[in-house]
Amino acid sequence: MALDYFILVFISSLGVYQIAAIHAKLDGLCFFRHPVVQYIFGILAIIGALGWFFTSKDRNIHTTVEGSQQLGLFLASIVASYLFTAILASIMQARVSSKGGSPREGKQYDMGIETLKKTTLFGGIMSSLRRERKDKV
Amino acid sequence: MPPLAGWTLWITGFVGKAPALDHVMHLLVNDFFIPLCICLIMLALWLGHSDRLKRDRIQITVMYASVSIGISALVVKLINAFTNPWPRPFLVDDSVIRESARRAAETIFYFPHDPTFPSNGATIAFAAATGVWLGNRTAGAIIYVLATLWAVARFYAGIHFFVDIAGGAVIGILTALFISKIFMPRIEPLPTWVMKLCRLLYLA
Repeated sequence: MALDYFILVFISSLGVYQIAAIHAKLDGLCFFRHPVVQYIFGILAIIGALGWFFTSKDRNIHTTVEGSQQLGLFLASIVASYLFTAILASIMQARVSSKGGSPREGKQYDMGIETLKKTTLFGGIMSSLRRERKDKV
Repeated sequence: MPPLAGWTLWITGFVGKAPALDHVMHLLVNDFFIPLCICLIMLALWLGHSDRLKRDRIQITVMYASVSIGISALVVKLINAFTNPWPRPFLVDDSVIRESARRAAETIFYFPHDPTFPSNGATIAFAAATGVWLGNRTAGAIIYVLATLWAVARFYAGIHFFVDIAGGAVIGILTALFISKIFMPRIEPLPTWVMKLCRLLYLA
């Protein structure tokens, strides 16, 4: 049950990230260039994960996945899903363009995911490193 | 027996009469379905705003709501540690209520054996709804609807008395108000540091 729940959260949050990325214009998290395709992917991921989870077995049974364990699994799963999204988007976008050439203006702890509007996770990290090097010089 | 215990007899009397309703309740009462929907809404709020300042504000709201969920669950644990005023509806002495609730729980859910008051589900769901509502009325209203559906489903399944649900909702709402309006602003700059750490890790 714990693994099933982890997979459910992982896939459904993947869908949420894709839909949220369109609204927030976070191109660095997008898998697709067309927003419509991305919407469809996001909705299918959410519905598919919920459909699989609730139709594959009877889930109204007493399990050990409750309370704090459910919270822990949820947090681990959304972070894993976020990292998967950011890394996969970085790899996919690196194949079509090389964004993030110049160092960013602000510090990362101020910019946050705003960075992902212009570049991918890998691009953002590289940009931060270049900036640090430039500051040292 | 708690006050309004007779309401359990009334609502569990519907179980088995409309199979379509039982199917819907079977999904709504689940331990994962509505909590996951609420968390996914909060996750979408966390990321889904293009304006940086508005996103920062809503992220603070979501962080406060998340802390409210955790603290309200802790409050329930504390209450359970000191008091267990009445058993689950399917364990009470009154045989009419007990058998009706037992049949409902068997059909819709399972037999949980942790303390019934206050409803853990209602507490955390209403804490989440109130926490989010303070920063985003629309999303908060949607979560209130989900919280109410979850609470009604648990009442329908005969695993809680009405007082358990109402008590949980009140505890959740009050905890969220306390956390969001009093506690979190007082512990600044800790929430700001957490947000900076999240930004550093590309999480916020």
